Amino acid sequence: MSTDYRIQELLAVEVSRHLIDEEVVFIGIGTGGPAFIRAVGIPLTACRLAQLSHAPNLVPMLGPLIDPDLDTLPSSLRDDYELVHWHSKAQIPEQEALDVFKRGKMGVGFVSGAQIDPYGNLNIVAIGDYDKPKVRLVGPLAQTDHCAFAKRTFITMEHTKRQFVEKVDFISGAGYLGGPGERDRVGLRQGGPGLVFTDYCVLDFDEKTARMKIKSLHPGVALETVVENTGFELIISDDIEVTPEPTSTQIELIRQRIDPEGLLLEARVQ
Amino acid sequence: MATSNASMTGSSNLVKKDKRASLADAVRLIEDGSTVGIGGSLIRRHPMAVIYEMIRQNKRDLTLLGWNNAVDMDLLIGAGCVKAVKTAYVGMAMLGLGHNFRRAVESGEVKVFEHSESTAIDAFRAGSMGWSFVPTKTPLGSGLADHNEEIKFMDCPYTGDPYCVLPAFAPDVAIIHAHTADACGNVQLDSKRELDNEVDTLIAKSANKVIVSVEQVVSEDAIYQNPELTILPKFFVDCVVEIPLGAHPTACDCRYDYDLEFLSKYQEYAKSPETFKEFLKRYVFDVDDHYQYLDLIGLQHLFSIQRPKEIS
Repeated sequence: MSTDYRIQELLAVEVSRHLIDEEVVFIGIGTGGPAFIRAVGIPLTACRLAQLSHAPNLVPMLGPLIDPDLDTLPSSLRDDYELVHWHSKAQIPEQEALDVFKRGKMGVGFVSGAQIDPYGNLNIVAIGDYDKPKVRLVGPLAQTDHCAFAKRTFITMEHTKRQFVEKVDFISGAGYLGGPGERDRVGLRQGGPGLVFTDYCVLDFDEKTARMKIKSLHPGVALETVVENTGFELIISDDIEVTPEPTSTQIELIRQRIDPEGLLLEARVQ
Repeated sequence: MATSNASMTGSSNLVKKDKRASLADAVRLIEDGSTVGIGGSLIRRHPMAVIYEMIRQNKRDLTLLGWNNAVDMDLLIGAGCVKAVKTAYVGMAMLGLGHNFRRAVESGEVKVFEHSESTAIDAFRAGSMGWSFVPTKTPLGSGLADHNEEIKFMDCPYTGDPYCVLPAFAPDVAIIHAHTADACGNVQLDSKRELDNEVDTLIAKSANKVIVSVEQVVSEDAIYQNPELTILPKFFVDCVVEIPLGAHPTACDCRYDYDLEFLSKYQEYAKSPETFKEFLKRYVFDVDDHYQYLDLIGLQHLFSIQRPKEIS
């Protein structure tokens, strides 16, 4: 056991455990700072860890770029020149990349939001009344596609009462909507939120009620901390686990092989 | 020879049509109140010189169509040219929210027809095929289906499965930026390019009129050498405008990167309507044309965003 690890390393290792061999995993790019670490850094590190431990055939997709060689990261993940020249197995037009979702071939879509509710519905469109919003945000991007079609979504969130709300102001990404069976009733035939990852814990969804439930607390995090920072009632069962700490081998892999420059987990740009 | 050919066919005008136009003349094709499809995605390859000129010509009441927009739409909105947008995103990528967009939507000045990336792209796809609508499952259960009044519902006539349907995007004018074209309007992109922007072809094909700005106008022979690089044959194109660095401050694939320093400055100016007026005065109204704009940015700075030259 290593005690010398950062929260983003713990999360990358935890996410990697839940990735399955041969799955296609979609990761978006385009954000900066802490949002970049959550949306890109942690998922990409997790993909490489999974490939090196139990999922050699895992296929990451970054927009139109398919199965890039994660051992040769470009010096910047935002520079088109670098992205286009990154060793990858395919680069396909964006419209076809989105068809992968609609065709039902996407295993995991990584998503995030300004708000999430107990059923995993997400909002990145507007805060407040939609017709007279307090804050207009950027718009759905491809989140609606991720949440409609990916076999499961992995949601990375900042964990505060402002983000974890009883009801989202706009559903830009469909979770379990109003409860069990509702996705199917509106015509969404697969998918739904899988896991939610925050700095405090990992959450999943109760099969009977489709509501969010604490799966594991990160080492040293008290249950009260999670409850205090969540704006709705979480399902708290008797069998809450402790999120496993990364092993020294995993930490070494991350720091020496996967992300030696801090490009992913520190959002460093060269 | 030309004389004898002409006498054989009875025509005295066998010259191929030259579609080159000045920036100002091309932009005059865009009428107030029209719908405009804008090429590019995030902060990549938007037809920015055309957009600056639209502001200079004081276009009004435009409806903008896109799928992933940034400084392109934010600028037009901040300049008061826009009444509605139909797109999946207006933001500044790693630089945060689009301030003008945010203010205009919060005040109700600009109406948003909410889209996801695939619904906007499929609406262009439908337009590019001459369809009037397209089915999609993406908006089912989401706020798009509740709030975008253009999205309607339909069951599949074969399986009964529920779908949403969208009207096609068929803009009056499409504006896109590409790498090269000949004078006749055969448009090409370098083989090494960011494939996010392949949607540009659909945007152009869905429109009634197409304005293409290019980094460079090339000879017919240059087009003949690599016909596989042509993304739009000339019959889709109405106007070709040669504008080097015409996507600045957005990126142009492997030719030049986005100008993060300039975009950060833009974000500062955009923080209030008053300071944004200063931006418009300095970079749009007080410059006569695109070359004066480039002078203002400065040669040294423009070289700093150049990328290694490709040999195709």
